[in-house]
Formats: sequence, C-alpha cells, structure tokens
Amino acid sequence: MRYEIRVDGQMSDELTTAFPELDSFVVPRQTVLYGQVKDDSHLYGLLVRFQSLGLRILEFRRLPEPE
Amino acid sequence: MGVMSHSVKEGHGDPSETAVTPDGDPVLAARLTVPTVPGTFVRRERLVEQLTEGARSPLTLVNGPAGAGKTLLVADWIRAREPGEVAWLTVEPEDCAPGVFWTYVLHAFGHHGIALPGNIGSPARPGEVDHSLLARLAAWLNGRDSRVVLVLDEFDRVAGCAEVAEGLQFVLRHAGEGLRLVIVSRTEPLLPLHRYRAAGELVDIRADDLAFGAEETAALVDRHGLPLSADGARVLTERTGGWAAGLRLCTLAAQRAGDPESFLKEFEPGHSTVADFLLGEVLRVHPAETQDLLLRTSILEETHPDLANALTGRDDAEPILEELQRANAFVEPIGHSWYRLHPLFAEILRVHLGVRHPGLAPELHRTAARWLIRAGLLDEALPHAADAGDWELAAAEFIDQLAIGRLLTGLAAERLDGLFARMAPEASGPAPDLVRAARELAHHDVDRGVAYLRRAEENLPGGDGGDAAAVRLSCAVLRVLAARVAGSADMAETAARAVAQAERALPADRLERCPELTALTLTDLGSAQLWAGRFDAARATLSDAVRTAQGPSTAFPRHEALSRLALIDFLYGHPGRAESHARGAIAEAEHSGLPVSDGTGMARLVLAAVAIDRDDLAAARDHLDQAAATTTAARDPIVAVEQAILRSRLLCARGDSGAALLALDELAEQRLVSAEPSPWVSERIAMATAAAQLADGDPRAAVKVFEERPGHSCPEGLVAEAWARVAAGESERALRILDGLPGPGNRGPVLEVWGLLTRAQAVDTLGDSSAAESLLLKALTAARPHHLRRPFLEAGPWVRQLLRDRPALAREHAWLTGTLSRRPVDGRSREEREEYASPRPEPLSAREGDVLERLAQLMSTEEIAADLHLSVNTVKTHLKSIYRKLAATRRGEAVRRARELGLL
Repeated sequence: MRYEIRVDGQMSDELTTAFPELDSFVVPRQTVLYGQVKDDSHLYGLLVRFQSLGLRILEFRRLPEPE
Repeated sequence: MGVMSHSVKEGHGDPSETAVTPDGDPVLAARLTVPTVPGTFVRRERLVEQLTEGARSPLTLVNGPAGAGKTLLVADWIRAREPGEVAWLTVEPEDCAPGVFWTYVLHAFGHHGIALPGNIGSPARPGEVDHSLLARLAAWLNGRDSRVVLVLDEFDRVAGCAEVAEGLQFVLRHAGEGLRLVIVSRTEPLLPLHRYRAAGELVDIRADDLAFGAEETAALVDRHGLPLSADGARVLTERTGGWAAGLRLCTLAAQRAGDPESFLKEFEPGHSTVADFLLGEVLRVHPAETQDLLLRTSILEETHPDLANALTGRDDAEPILEELQRANAFVEPIGHSWYRLHPLFAEILRVHLGVRHPGLAPELHRTAARWLIRAGLLDEALPHAADAGDWELAAAEFIDQLAIGRLLTGLAAERLDGLFARMAPEASGPAPDLVRAARELAHHDVDRGVAYLRRAEENLPGGDGGDAAAVRLSCAVLRVLAARVAGSADMAETAARAVAQAERALPADRLERCPELTALTLTDLGSAQLWAGRFDAARATLSDAVRTAQGPSTAFPRHEALSRLALIDFLYGHPGRAESHARGAIAEAEHSGLPVSDGTGMARLVLAAVAIDRDDLAAARDHLDQAAATTTAARDPIVAVEQAILRSRLLCARGDSGAALLALDELAEQRLVSAEPSPWVSERIAMATAAAQLADGDPRAAVKVFEERPGHSCPEGLVAEAWARVAAGESERALRILDGLPGPGNRGPVLEVWGLLTRAQAVDTLGDSSAAESLLLKALTAARPHHLRRPFLEAGPWVRQLLRDRPALAREHAWLTGTLSRRPVDGRSREEREEYASPRPEPLSAREGDVLERLAQLMSTEEIAADLHLSVNTVKTHLKSIYRKLAATRRGEAVRRARELGLL
C-alpha cells in the first residue's frame, strides 16, 4: 500500500527524520510525505506519530499501485 | 551515590504514597496527582463553566490535539471549583491491560482519600479483570452519599483497548450518581458516545473549544509580561490557530527576542509547521548546556537532576531545570525534585537528538538504566536497558532482584513477558537463560524451558555472594516448576531443597519482598507430591503455600494450593473440609479478580464430586460445566482425569452407564501430559470404570478391573474393590480387603460410610442380618451430617427394603428416604429439593443478585439483559444458577425463596 500524507506547514529536515520510512518534499505551506505503508497497524502508528509531534494532517490518501 | 538514593526515595513521596502496586511498580505519585497549574496559566471561564456543567452528567470528554492545553484546563478547574471528591489518574500505555488499569484506578481512589471497602478486592492478573470486581466497585460508588469525579488524563494511550473501555462503560452505567467520569484524550475513547450524546449525558469539549480566542491570546501574552495590541493578538491567534502549545512557544521566543512587541506582531510561522519552527527558535536562544540537557533527557518520561547529570556528564542539572521551570518552558515539576518534559516537546526533542547525535540514544538509555537500577527503580530501568539493547544488564538485574516469579504470576507478568520477548538471541549467561526458561515455562513449553534451564545451570556462578545466590534461587524455583510439569515429586523435592539452601544465603528482607517466590515454590512442590500420591506431604506443603502473604502476586498460587487441598480432602472422604477449601479457592480467585477461565477449575470439580455424593445432580452438572469453562484441563492431567471421571459418575447416576463406559475408554487411551505416571490417578480411572461396570450390571467385569491392577494407592481404591467383590458374590474376600483400611482417624465420613455399607452388605449376604442392620445404622448416622445419599442409592434393594420395614428408622432419616423411594433419579419432588436446599443456600454472586433483583421487578429475560448490558444467554445462565442455588424451578418460586431467605 502506498500512501501520500499532506501536512500543514513546511517540516524542517530534522523533523522529517521522524518518518525515515517516508520520502518527502515541501510545497508552499505544506509538506507532502509519501511511501510504502506495510499494513493497518503501520498506518495507525503513523497517525499517532504525526499527532504526537503536533503535526496537522490535511490529507491522507492511498496512491494507485504502479503498474 | 548516597545523595542520589536519598533523593530518589523522596521522589516517591511519603510511605503511604509509595505503596507498591500488584504490578510491583512503585507508583509514582505523579501519576495520581493533579498537575500543578503554572502562574502564567490563563483561566477561561467559558471552559470552566463547561466542565462544571459536565460534572452534572456522567461523562465529560476533553478531546484535542497534543499541546491543546487539555490537562491544565481540567487541573485548574479542580483547583478553582473543587467539584467534590476527585481521583486523578494519568494513564500509561501499559494500562492497556485491564487488570493493570483497574489496579491504578483503585489506587487513584485511595490516593485521593476515597477509602474503598476491602471486599472490592483488586485484580491479580494483568490481562483481565473479573466482572464481579467491577460490579462491586460500581455498586459501592452507587450506594455512597457523595459522588466521585474520576479524571483519566492521556486516555489516548489506551484508546485502542476495547476491554478497558467496556469496563469503564460498565462501571459508569452502574455507579449511577456516584461517579462522574472526565476523560482527557487526543482521540475519542471507544465508549458508546452517541448513546450518551443522544441522552444528553455527555459534555464535549473539543479542539475548537480549546483553541484560544484573540482576547484570550492577549491575556496569555500579558501574563508573560508582554503587552500586545488587540490587532497583534488577532494576528497571532490566526497564525497559531489558537493552539496553546504554539502560543506558548511563541511567547517564550518573544521573551528572548530583542523587541518582543514587534516579534509577536510580526511573528510569521511562514511556511513552517508551528511547533517544529518554534521549538528550533526557542531552543536556539537557550545556552548550549541547556539545549544539551533537554536533548539528552528527552529519552525519559520523568527526570531528576541527578539522573540528568548522569546523562549530560555534568553537574549543572539542578539550576538548569529550576530555570526552565521558572521560565515555564518545556518542563513541569511533579514534586520531590522530579520533573516531566512536556510530551509534545519531548517528542520533537527526540527527533532533534537523533539528528544532532546519531547513535547516542542507546548510550543514554544504558546510562539511564544503570542510574535507575542504582536508585532501586527496577521497573523503570528495564525498558531503558531494553532500548539500549543491553539485555545482559536487564536480565542480570531482573534475576538479582529476585523478580523471576513476576514472569510467572502477578500483574506484571504480561508486561515483563512482552519486554523480554524482544531479548536478542546473542545475550548470553545464566541470567538471560533463566529469563528465557521462565518465559517458556510460563507458556507451557516445558522442553524448551528445561533446555534453557540446563544451559543456565551449566554456567552457574560460583561463590556464596548475593548475586550467585539469587541466580541459584531463580534456577531452583524454575526447577520445581519443571519437575511439577514432568510429574516428578523426587525432582521437585530436590529442587525445593535447593531453593531453601539458596534462600539461606540471601537477606530476609529481600526475600520478604517477593512472597510470590515462596508461594509458587510451595504450590508447585505440593502439586508434584500430590501427583505422586504423597498425600500427607502434599497436604503439609500446600497448607504452607496457603499461609503465604495474601496479595495479587500470590493470588494464583494460593488459589491453586487451596483447590488442591480441597481435592486431597475429597480423596480422604471429607466432604465438609473439601467444600470449605474449594469455596476458599473460589473466593480467593474472585477477590483477586481472577477471571473464571484462568482459574484451575479443580475447586469446581471438587464441589461437583461432593454434590454427586449427595445426589444433587443438578448442582453437580452446574459445577462441572463451570470447570469445563477453564482452560486448565489441557495442561493439568489431574483436572483432565477428574473431569472425565465425574462426567462418567454423573452419567451412571442418570442411568446411562453405557455412555459412561465409553467416555472412560476414551480417557484410558489418552496420553497424559506428565512424563511420570501417577499411581492414584490411574487408579481413579480404574475405580470409575469398575463403578460404571457395576451400574451396567456386570460385577464380574468390575472385579476384573481390579484384578488387572493389584494393590491400592489410596484408601478409596480399597473400598471400591471390596464393593465390587460383594456385588460379584465374593463377600469373604471383600471383608478381608476392608480389614486393610486405614484407622478411623485417617479416613473421612465418605470412606467411613462406603466401608460400613460394604461390610453390611457382605455380612448380610453371609446370612448375619442383625450385624448387617447395626452396620447400616452406623452408616446412616455417619452419612446424615453430610447428606451422603449416593452410597445408599447404589447399595441395592436391601437397604430400601430395610427402611420400609422399619418406619421409625425411615422417619429418623427423612433426608434419605425421599430419595430412595423414588426411581428413577430425575423425578425428585420439589419438597425434597427444598428440604435439601434449606440448610445452607449457596451465596449468590453480585451479578446473580442483580439479575434476581430485576426478576423480582417482573422484568423479562430480554429486559434484564438489556438493562445489565449482558447477552440473553448470559442472563439465562445466571437464572439457571439462581434457580439451582435457591432450589427453585420457576421465577415466582425463586423470588419467593429469595424473600424468605432475606436476599431481597
């Protein structure tokens, strides 16, 4: 499962190290993180990690699998 | 170091507060204390009003993201409005185990001066809590004049635990006006919130409510000595989204800025995430030492100046922490020189630590573990040793502090098991191997457990020092357990001697802190002795086990020991003693909240056996069903065998001897788990088979069972053979066998009655009817106090004939004659049931009481189920049990009986 998560604000490089399993890039006022999510418990774990770092999730969506 | 240990002791508050939970954890008073509200806190009346409103409904929910100011809001409300009795608990992730959660809740009540009555009990197992315990708690809360406000802070840490939520829901529903629940959480709890909302019983304070308005922002900034124009406040509020943590960080940064007013006005998080950016800003303005301390202590939940010094390698922690606290930045004091880092900031700091000092975290964890161990805080130290990957340290300390028994029993078992499950395979030495052995034995994998145990023994340290003694003691305790599972009393006795020897090398106060070690050793030893048929030794050992200190860590071994004592009493023919030990075992389990499925089931089996002797077959079946609900039969061969034997006896009593024989055949083919056979257990199977053959009308086959296995390992077997011989017409042989019975002092009424009856029948067949009659009289007298009907039912027609011929005798023994005159077994009239039940009705459980109460209100089964939030089937089970206990067959009758007995 590949997911894309959009977070409010630009995360510093330091802060993105909290999500070593995801790649990221910044767009104006947002940070986009994306990558492979193993299973549901990984998914929920990610949500908790975002929340515990005070990050506001704007969008969370599953990406179509590459052919 | 002396200073350090002293201050740590202080850290846990006064002695009453240092009470150790069943978990073995010293309860950090901080978890139970209402947090202090800093002077810069801005009280917002609109929220305080909402909370006060909430205290009028059962449930208040304070839901918002990290750093929204939830905790301080509730703490300030408590200080400001004093809403009556308050119990505060800051939830931890390990509270996900319901047993642990409720232990802390009960502790919170106690900590806040709300004295719970002793009969509520406390959970003994981490994973589950018995429903009856929660029912007792709810009933008690409901019955009080005043209400308790229970605050559960950081509830999101157990948000995923359905069982915790269910328990809370149950207690909240049944505590009525007596309980007000305030849940502080980042996520919604798993309670049926829609139901509370629909009923107007929920006050919801959410992120939008918690967000600061512009005026509130102005007040907050002003409180920090930084005046701000209305316009500036509006802009700042907008940019932080009114988020408390953002505002706080922003204000802190402004305080350090050259021109605070313009900093605040022009504050522009720009495109960064607020906390990330601000934390960087705020951190930057602190001196390098402070930054370093914050980064390094971010691996801890709570810190102490000495511990912080250990992590920084400097000695300036005290002034730094005091300064940070004064500046209201990051850390809050939690009393007795301990501090807690704001969880949100700690989380971000940990990320920074990883970037600035890659690879340092494990080192810090190791240092923290060592410091906490020296401070005597093993439970706090173990997770850090694990995070450092230093398993040798974790295991060595665990063994050295005699904690091995806590892997086998008590509330910490699951948590410790989970912790050590991560242990690296490379960790070597006796301590890691002992921990592995204990885990395998706890999971009933004896072969692997013993393999680890053997490897540990090969590497035992020499010398008589305390360390070596602790390793030897742990080893011996596990050996006793392994011997029990292998069914070897000799090995168990040898290991128990090794336990005693190792104990002598250890100071008494260290041993006293681990009562579970003694309880486990004695119960395991007694069980091995019982299996081997060393009944007297087993009785003495198990009685010692029962004398160990009562508490959650010893609840399970004590329950087991009592159950086994009950079985020994039964085997010796003492129904009264057997019953009282069995009831003691069940009470121990209920008091400690041991769920039924975790009980041994043996106590129920003994009650079933006694009920069969009394010909109370309905009760017997009920007890058997309850025994079958436990999971022990798979591991405990005695339970497995007794369960099958009693089923066969019940089948025989109901006249289905064919089915009984089939069941026993199956049992004989099963391989029992123990390596060494038990002489008496196999004899019990033989006896049951012989009895079924007799019931089947084939006395020759019954005698053959005994001829195939000469000799007896228990007095009961002797009587059983004599009984079969009489039936087969070998009366003289039977009398000779009976001469081998132990003296009257060593046999209970049941054996006495069977012996007398056998003898009576034998002499009667030999033509001496007057001797037979006098023996029968003796048997009746011995049987009457215990209402032992079964022997007379099986004795054949001549007993009935005699009683018919002697009306005076029949009247004197009315307890028996009603049963005898009826055939078949099931047609007993109600009067007789009542006659039997009236002397001592079995007490109703709390739950059954609930059901009975509603029964009296003429509620239907479905209505009762809905009202109590139970399934219809569960209610039916309770009803059945109520009918049985009250000897009633219908609702009306049950209610009438309950009124007569003063139960309603």
